[in-house]
Amino acid sequence: MTHKSSIDQPVDQLRILIEEFTRSGIATLHVRSGDFELLLSNDSGTPSLASGRPVANGPVAAPATIPAPAAAPAAVVQAVSAVPDGAVILTAPNLGTFYRAPKPGAAAYVEIGGRVAQGDEICLIEVMKLFTGVRAEVAGTIVAVLAEDGAMVEAGQPLFALVAD
Amino acid sequence: MALKRLFVANRGEIALRIVRAAQALNIETVVAVSDADRDSAAARLADRSVVLGPAQAARSYLDPRLVVHAAKATGCDGLHPGYGFLSERAILPRLCAANGIAFVGPEPEVIESLGDKIQARAMARAAGVPLVPGCDSIASAADARREADKIGYPVLIKAAAGGGGRGMVIAHNGDGAAAGFDRASAEAVAAFGDGTLFMERFVPQARHVEVQLMGDGRGQVIHFGERDCSVQRRYQKLIEEAPCAAMPEHLRAQLHASAVALAASVQYRNAGTAEFLFDIARQEFYFIEVNARIQVEHPVSEMISGFDLVQEQLRIAGGAGLSLRQDQVRLSGHAIECRINAEDTARDFLPSPGRITYWSPPQGEGVRLDSHMSEGAMIPPYYDSMIGKLIVHADTREAAIDRLDAALADFQVEGIATTIGLHREIIAHPDFRANRIHTRWLEQVLLAEREGVAA
Repeated sequence: MTHKSSIDQPVDQLRILIEEFTRSGIATLHVRSGDFELLLSNDSGTPSLASGRPVANGPVAAPATIPAPAAAPAAVVQAVSAVPDGAVILTAPNLGTFYRAPKPGAAAYVEIGGRVAQGDEICLIEVMKLFTGVRAEVAGTIVAVLAEDGAMVEAGQPLFALVAD
Repeated sequence: MALKRLFVANRGEIALRIVRAAQALNIETVVAVSDADRDSAAARLADRSVVLGPAQAARSYLDPRLVVHAAKATGCDGLHPGYGFLSERAILPRLCAANGIAFVGPEPEVIESLGDKIQARAMARAAGVPLVPGCDSIASAADARREADKIGYPVLIKAAAGGGGRGMVIAHNGDGAAAGFDRASAEAVAAFGDGTLFMERFVPQARHVEVQLMGDGRGQVIHFGERDCSVQRRYQKLIEEAPCAAMPEHLRAQLHASAVALAASVQYRNAGTAEFLFDIARQEFYFIEVNARIQVEHPVSEMISGFDLVQEQLRIAGGAGLSLRQDQVRLSGHAIECRINAEDTARDFLPSPGRITYWSPPQGEGVRLDSHMSEGAMIPPYYDSMIGKLIVHADTREAAIDRLDAALADFQVEGIATTIGLHREIIAHPDFRANRIHTRWLEQVLLAEREGVAA
């Protein structure tokens, strides 16, 4: 299909790789291709890749029912260097438009480095003008914002990384 | 404007079928999935898939706002609802229209009026389509006897407020009708607080026949012949055939004309099916309802017409007229479809979700399989149990049954229970070969015989 290429192929490949890895039960997968390097691990004791290279955290980071950051791995790969091992990934409960602030022009609910208590509203997901607040499952410090304000996010897509108290 | 990017708001084999039809027309595809269907065949084949929500259909496939939001956010200009889920909910085409998306189906008003049984019957009556003979209200036992004599026996006396068989009596003669009135009336008052009764002719042995329609939304409607879907269990179709070999030619022509007249009277747009009851003893047919969507069993009509109905749906949704005239629709041979379900027929058709460990489908001339399954595929427990449709086509019904028999024998599936074995039993039964079946045949004859053997 010639029109297949119109949709982010590298992202799809990465997504498929993560899904297959999650299903396979393999403990660690290390891929290197040119200057791209990826380490997937189910074991929190696995050392991270050295230097500032992009590292995608495996399922260990996500306590939610969604096993892998499937929807927007590109954003994950860019931001993940700042996500420490063991960080909690907060994900979207359903598809919708991701808003970081309660209304246009207002300050974001939370910034990187900001603290949240359990149950704090941290963003909105809008579906056809219906806005639903997403709450932090655990208390801690936000260490990364993994989705773009105003963009469509899918169910299970990583929104924030948080280091629990 | 032909569609450029299509949103597929369904799952399973029909999602895959729609993606393939779109690709054949160079339309890009975005498939909506729930969390349980991320790895589905349709999601893998499509240009893109988006995860709507969790596995529960109410929070994914059945949420019209979520579906249309996703279609708009992914830049789709068309939306195909498939069958089931939201396909006959008028809110879906309404939301599509409000967001500049072409809905692959009829107008919302048409969906609504056809979905209302009373309105649909009134529309059928106005279009000259035969309904089950009956009478809307009966006031007394004497009234019941007089009306029943006019309708012809046996008759069914039913509570207007009824349901679940309460306030329902079958009468075989005038005395039965009078006595039945008293009993049904008392039951109806007790059960529903409303003794209003109506009466209609009872058809003890009927076939389910239906006509495949396609309309351009401007009054032009063509048909692709009829299907016979009489092998049913609890009103669920298991086997569908085209044509209905038991119907004489003069009735067939009347059936097609009735269905087309009804659809044309509402300027029906896109694919639809008019369903009828075929009274075997009286050789008459009566209107049941219109299904305002593509149906599971559409492939048998495609096989005898050599025409892709789903591609036609997409062209019409893109603004084109019908690509055929009625006299260009040529029907030939006989087609039979078996719905293969992941169910254990030995355990009262208990669903059998799980992983398919071996999958070897039949192939060959005149054999078609519409399925989203493959080796290693997972059947999640959240949705219906259909794993595919096996369709065969041959010159005659006899040859089609032989071909189906061979194809079913070749169909190897391991890891889950399936209805393949039951289908082999059905088509091997002398009643099926001789075409002596009706809508209660499977339960009253074949499954009863099976239980007799087991007991």
